[in-house]
Amino acid sequence: MSAQSPARRRLLVALAGAEDPSLVERLALVAGAGGGSVEIELLHVIDSGPRGLARRGPELRARPWPRPAVAGMDQRLSEAEEEGAGAILAAWSERFAAGLPGAAIETAIRRGEPEHEIIAAALECRADAVVLCARPRTGATEPGPRSLGHVARFVVDHAPVPVLLVRHSG
Amino acid sequence: MTASPPGIARSGIRRHPIVAGRDRTERRPILLGVNDASAVSSAAALATFVFLATIAVVITRPRGVTEARAALVGALVMILVGLVPIREAASNVAGHWNVLLFFVGLTGAAAVAERSGLFEALAGTSARVSGGRPRRLLVAVVVVGAVVAALLSNDAAALVLTPVVYVLVARFGLGPLPYVLACTFVADAASLALPVGNPVNVIVSDRLGISAFSLVPVLLPAAGAAVLALLGCLLVINRRALPDRAPVVPAAASWASWSVVPRPLLAAFGAAVVAFAIASVLDLPLGPTLTGAWLLLLVVERSAGRRVAPLDGIGWSLLVFVAAMGILVDGLAATGVTPWLASLLLGPVRDVPAAVMAVTAVAGAVGANLFNNLPAAFVLADAVHSAGLSAASTHAAAIGTIIGADLGPNLTPVGSVATLLWFVLLRQRGMEITTWSYIRVGLIVTPITLLAALVVGLLLGIPR
Repeated sequence: MSAQSPARRRLLVALAGAEDPSLVERLALVAGAGGGSVEIELLHVIDSGPRGLARRGPELRARPWPRPAVAGMDQRLSEAEEEGAGAILAAWSERFAAGLPGAAIETAIRRGEPEHEIIAAALECRADAVVLCARPRTGATEPGPRSLGHVARFVVDHAPVPVLLVRHSG
Repeated sequence: MTASPPGIARSGIRRHPIVAGRDRTERRPILLGVNDASAVSSAAALATFVFLATIAVVITRPRGVTEARAALVGALVMILVGLVPIREAASNVAGHWNVLLFFVGLTGAAAVAERSGLFEALAGTSARVSGGRPRRLLVAVVVVGAVVAALLSNDAAALVLTPVVYVLVARFGLGPLPYVLACTFVADAASLALPVGNPVNVIVSDRLGISAFSLVPVLLPAAGAAVLALLGCLLVINRRALPDRAPVVPAAASWASWSVVPRPLLAAFGAAVVAFAIASVLDLPLGPTLTGAWLLLLVVERSAGRRVAPLDGIGWSLLVFVAAMGILVDGLAATGVTPWLASLLLGPVRDVPAAVMAVTAVAGAVGANLFNNLPAAFVLADAVHSAGLSAASTHAAAIGTIIGADLGPNLTPVGSVATLLWFVLLRQRGMEITTWSYIRVGLIVTPITLLAALVVGLLLGIPR
């Protein structure tokens, strides 16, 4: 329960970015017309894994090729990540503001392993429920075995609050 | 290398018993003073031990010891215990002048390319071409990676292009993993196309006395097949990871354009490629050609107003590593280890070029994963050389070794190490998931690309 305003439910919506825009309508059906009773926190997690691989090239390849001039490279990678994450959240903020006119919308960017960061964010922002897509980067996902990506699977397994799992119907 | 007359080695027709070269038998007493069978085998055991211990240090890098330093110490041990006479070692290093110059030119040219913004411009073009469609972007990344790997070496493609592609993909709001993996894999898949693509290509052709250019008509199509096979695999593997459209499509003007690369430098790159093509037709030695191209690029870069330290980015440690590896392998050859390996691998099939190609390709791939592809290529090339195969078989073996040692490393992320050891290292660094995705992809992609390249190699590289 949210401490400051017990009447408003707080939903944490985890977004990878490429989810189907129909996500907002589906959420509106659950949240009630206008969405006046919900606070929505939009979360995008910058996955730290691939960056490790991109940067560790020389070490991984175990070959004495000269290290590329990395001056400023970390900075450039971070800026690009933040630009992408910021643009994703800006686009979804607009969609949510249009689909749920009464809702209070906040955004957050975290870094790390997405599945762990989603759980941590749910605890930190005292969410009443977590919303996420079954396979956020794919199109339609029919219910059935292996229909959840590993992030969704982990969140369903570990979330301390109810999870609203949204599927694209294609 | 041992003092075989260059003319004979070049034509590749040297024939003598597989067991050990005549020139090598004479050196055995240096260590033990006797020349009986047990002395030979104990010298061979010692040489093998020194070699494997060196490779183990190169791979595990205890306390951050660099590869070059480890190899250098290994080579010195090989000399100090008397397995390689010091004069032999010196002439070995001097005999590699072409290869060593080649690496100076290659790493220098790659550094100029990196500073010039060429990679950003290529990435910007692929971003615009993709129009924000993730699949098209993956194809563009593979094509750019293949061109860079073929012209500027696999390591330049993997190490320099990967972060650039990462920036590109992150700005699209896409998950970078498929693209980062594509860069790494295509770097090796395309690296067999031209002699400059992979240090292995030059090391193998140099040791076998074959012109590196003479293999291009076979290896270029083979690389094309490998890249196509890789692209197919990546599209299938990532079919669920790539959305139809990128979540964010930055304005086309926001991507780096070709105007960031100074015009004269762009022209110099073009001229270098043309010069390289001419050199390949004339069959000029690679080292001076590439060093010349690098000096040209450097002069043009300076005249374009870029103040840079000219020797920045030269792979000195790569030179040391290659020179030291040559001495280490010489120790193996002198004590009969590589000839023994040759009889083991090639004995039954030595007169069937197609079988020689297949065996060397598999051995190269296995060796690349057991230790590291450079030492694997060195050992295998020396084994083939000591076997004294016919010209056709030597040619087939060169192609097979290059295919195997170039493509094999994709199996495990390091292109070396027993996978188990690697897991331990990475677990400490907290990268399990990325590691798994790499290995999963590598296990599928490597055998398929290897097979595709080998089929083309067999079709085009075996005289009928």
